[in-house]
Amino acid sequence: MRIPYSWLKELLPDAPSVKECSELLTGIGLATEEIIELEAPPVGVVIAKLISVVKVEGSDKLNHCIVSDGKNEYSIVTAAPNTKEGMITALAVLGTHLPAAGFTVGKRKLMGIESNGVLCSPKELGLYDYSAGLIEFPDDTQIGENLNELWAAETVLDLEITPNRADTLSLLGVARDLAAKLQTDFIHPAQDLKLSDPNIDDSLKVEISNLKACSRFSLQRIDNVKIQPSPIWLQRRLASVGLRPRNNIVDITNYVTYELGQPSHAYDLDNLNDNTIIVRNAKKGESLVSLTEEELKLVEDDLLITMPSGSSTMPIGLAGVIGGLNHSILSNTTNIALEMANFDPVTIRKMAKRHSIMTDAHYRFERGVDPNIILLASARASSLIAQLSGGSVHPGVSLVGKEQELKTVDFRPSQVEFKMTLDIPLKLQKEYLERLACRVKELDGDKWQITAPSWRYDLEIEEDIIEEVSRLYGFDKIVETLPAMYFVPPVKDSTGRVLRSSLASFGLQEVISYIFTSDQELAKAKAPKAVVRLQNPQGVERSVLRTALYPSLINIAINNKQEASLAIFELGHVFNKVEKERLSILMSGLMVKANWLAEIKLDFYYFKAILEKLARTYAVDLELKAQEVEYLHPGISALVLWAGKEIGFMGKLHPEIAASYGLKDVFVAELDLPLISSEIDFEDINRQPFAERDLAIILPIDTNYNSLSELVKNSAGKFLQSLDVFDIYHGDNIKAGYYSMAIRLRFQDREKALIDSEVDEYMANVINKLESMGYSIRGK
Amino acid sequence: MIEEFNNEIGKIESLQELQDLRVKYLGKKGLLTQQLKALGKLAPEERKQAGQSINRDKKQMLAIIDDAKTRLEQKAINAKLAAERVDVSLPAYKLSTGGLHLITKTINKLEDVFRSMGYDVVMGPELEDEFHNFDALNTPKWHPARDLQDTFWTTDGRVLRTHTSPMQVRYMETHKPPFKVVVPGKVFRNEAVDATHEAQFHQLEALVVAERITMADLKGAITEMASALLGKDTKTRLQPSYFPFVEPGAEFAIWWKSPKTGKEEWLELGGCGLVHPNVMKAVGYEGVTGFAFGFGIERLAMVSYGIPDVRYFYQGDMRVLRQFRGEL
Repeated sequence: MRIPYSWLKELLPDAPSVKECSELLTGIGLATEEIIELEAPPVGVVIAKLISVVKVEGSDKLNHCIVSDGKNEYSIVTAAPNTKEGMITALAVLGTHLPAAGFTVGKRKLMGIESNGVLCSPKELGLYDYSAGLIEFPDDTQIGENLNELWAAETVLDLEITPNRADTLSLLGVARDLAAKLQTDFIHPAQDLKLSDPNIDDSLKVEISNLKACSRFSLQRIDNVKIQPSPIWLQRRLASVGLRPRNNIVDITNYVTYELGQPSHAYDLDNLNDNTIIVRNAKKGESLVSLTEEELKLVEDDLLITMPSGSSTMPIGLAGVIGGLNHSILSNTTNIALEMANFDPVTIRKMAKRHSIMTDAHYRFERGVDPNIILLASARASSLIAQLSGGSVHPGVSLVGKEQELKTVDFRPSQVEFKMTLDIPLKLQKEYLERLACRVKELDGDKWQITAPSWRYDLEIEEDIIEEVSRLYGFDKIVETLPAMYFVPPVKDSTGRVLRSSLASFGLQEVISYIFTSDQELAKAKAPKAVVRLQNPQGVERSVLRTALYPSLINIAINNKQEASLAIFELGHVFNKVEKERLSILMSGLMVKANWLAEIKLDFYYFKAILEKLARTYAVDLELKAQEVEYLHPGISALVLWAGKEIGFMGKLHPEIAASYGLKDVFVAELDLPLISSEIDFEDINRQPFAERDLAIILPIDTNYNSLSELVKNSAGKFLQSLDVFDIYHGDNIKAGYYSMAIRLRFQDREKALIDSEVDEYMANVINKLESMGYSIRGK
Repeated sequence: MIEEFNNEIGKIESLQELQDLRVKYLGKKGLLTQQLKALGKLAPEERKQAGQSINRDKKQMLAIIDDAKTRLEQKAINAKLAAERVDVSLPAYKLSTGGLHLITKTINKLEDVFRSMGYDVVMGPELEDEFHNFDALNTPKWHPARDLQDTFWTTDGRVLRTHTSPMQVRYMETHKPPFKVVVPGKVFRNEAVDATHEAQFHQLEALVVAERITMADLKGAITEMASALLGKDTKTRLQPSYFPFVEPGAEFAIWWKSPKTGKEEWLELGGCGLVHPNVMKAVGYEGVTGFAFGFGIERLAMVSYGIPDVRYFYQGDMRVLRQFRGEL
């Protein structure tokens, strides 16, 4: 909400400097987002009148104008489309610098005609964003005056208004709040106006068929208006709040919206059939062409402004949102009907969302406009119209709907101290509330009944009143204490710190990627199909939620092609049928980059070592079972068992998938979290000597080490302490389709030293078992 | 003879030569051994004197040989050590180095701060239902307050949580006051992405509920957090604002010295307030009050390190990420 300082000052003569106002407003909850300095138009621009306008021969667009500033006449050639004889506009004389247009006015010759000045559009003057025609002023504007002296510079406070404070979407609301803070009075711009009388017949008619959606509606008749440009002061005010001036009637309705917070609409009475307006819900299949020439297909929940048309009624506006095309004020309008209405916020919000139309009126209505200001706002607008258009305001008004009853809130002043620890004297609490136009009724002791004004939709419960009193007193006066309570939180790692730190210390870099992805990305990485889709995504490439983490890591790998070696991991949520937390690891490139020392290539067993290291950190067993999964190399792919539980897959990314991303030799793991760790079961050091025996076994190529080691472990007896592979040999002296594996068994008893013959016996068992399974022992 | 021996041993360079010299003089057929053997031919009185003289020479030779041996062994060790010398300044193997993401590091630091203040730390789902993200937080359907947060909706009517606040509700549904808890995590807003806006970012939210929790407790807690995070000389500023799930509500800023610019200023961090009675009602709490405050992690990290673009956090560029290693 833009609040021009000079306008605020008019309502609140006690207002301090701009900077102080900005700080005070921020301090009471109307935060200043920005202080905007609007410059006055350039020196050298004068008010001038077009004496004659003649088309330049041989040109489609150019007109030759004779322009007078009251003293001199100027020959000026212009391409502006809205020139006409008698029009009053702005002339930049020779030598005038127009910063907004980026040039200095000089003598020119166009199509052989001298042009000694420039007639200006509002944009060229730097006043507001309109460049499709010259700025226009009303006929009674004094020519020859410097525009610079009439249209002064302005400072605007741009306030961020929170959705609960729709009442401060107006100069009146902001002035009232600031006056309460300053404990001073403000001037209500409509305070002394005489209201029109609903009991006097004005031959207008209003009907409302849905009083829940439209609680009040007034129509004011004003005859014999003269449509013309608004005077400079009004144009300047509208420009300073960010609006484009159009004509006096439309400008006044906008002015009153910003001044009092009540949106309104003026109809050309001569085009209003039967002088009647009917507010009703739309019928199935009805449509309306809006002001912006968009055809709106209406549904039954839409609320319409309509007028009689033959035996039925036709829509002329979408209530509280936007007017219909061909029902606005035209330059030849003489009699008008001025609408002021109040609409239900939810009805308006639904309509605006349904038709995707955002307007200033809709924004205000969906947040709540004062339902009881209608006649006052109507009187204010009418008096301005009478003043600026010469129209005569009818003493009667057509009005449907009652004033809204005011809400009361029970309030205990002691709660301000209890909740805020602010010790605010009762007298001051009362003053603040009354300055905000609350009625305060002191019942017995610590019990007040607060009647909130009709514009304060947000005052509903005691806490709301506490906030009102406290924000005016100042949140800066709140002291600092610490919560008095007994609470001992459990000790736990809720954020995965151990896991993250372990992986980082193993040499992996953590990454965080987007949970959004696309069907195409998931398909490319052969990840599960998307389950959760966004209704309103930011483009198709972010339209679904990821079903796996590794595709995100692949994308990060692509973005890091400059790295000779990449080792990354991510902890994040994936969204399949249920939302789950996962860990994914990706490694590619070299394990050790070459320099004068040899490089070491990353391979499957190094990648597996990372997982084994992690398992040892958690003191659990890790087992990999060969199992194919679509996204992994069929021969380098494993199901991961963590402490015996299946938690995911690891292996080499399928070479075809890797190639589709322009990558190669990429290893990935995708594991469910949380990873469990085992309970610690301490065992004293075994100080008995151990015995080791080696065995070389000839194995078929497709042997699985898991099953071989199971055989050995099951036949080696209870003193087998460890088993390891120390050599694998594929050689000439091994028959085709076989290879040799050398294993080392270590035996150790806790009680005594094992003797050779015992160990020999265990080894014999192992050999027998292996031979019985068809394996042969080398060197035997 | 001893002069000759001394002369020869002075020229010896290796243990082998020393051994040869020992054999030459003291071996079975050595020069000194032969002299000893020749003693029997001498007269008894001469024999005694000559014997003493030879034995003295032998003792002396043995001692000299021992000395020489020690010297030569030391020399051999020195030579070996010299040969094993490496150039410690040459580059080593290029092993990969890991690190935590800057967001994780910032959250870890905050977690430490809050744990030291006695808070529990919990996490929640990122895909939420409308009830927990909005309704239970006093933000009914069709209320303009829903516009405060541009929301991603799923086709089945769920939402990507727009703030960490739904976890407030989930925590209260399953715990009884008094408690102090913080919730860090990802949140999502359907905003145009640029250098300061991301569709995905992180928040941290604190919630404290007990018999009497005041706005002063809230202010005190924020200052305590800020002091633990930034050092003792900090303070908190509250300015009235509106968040539907608190009343009264405020924006909070902390006074800090920007480590990047060195300027002392207010850092506007987030929103806060006393838990709205409607939220208490939604979770069935009675007779308690509470406060909540929350803020964005990316912003804190960006101003702390002078990171120019919020998108850097999610692009996974190693040239950015590896700059934040250390402090695991």
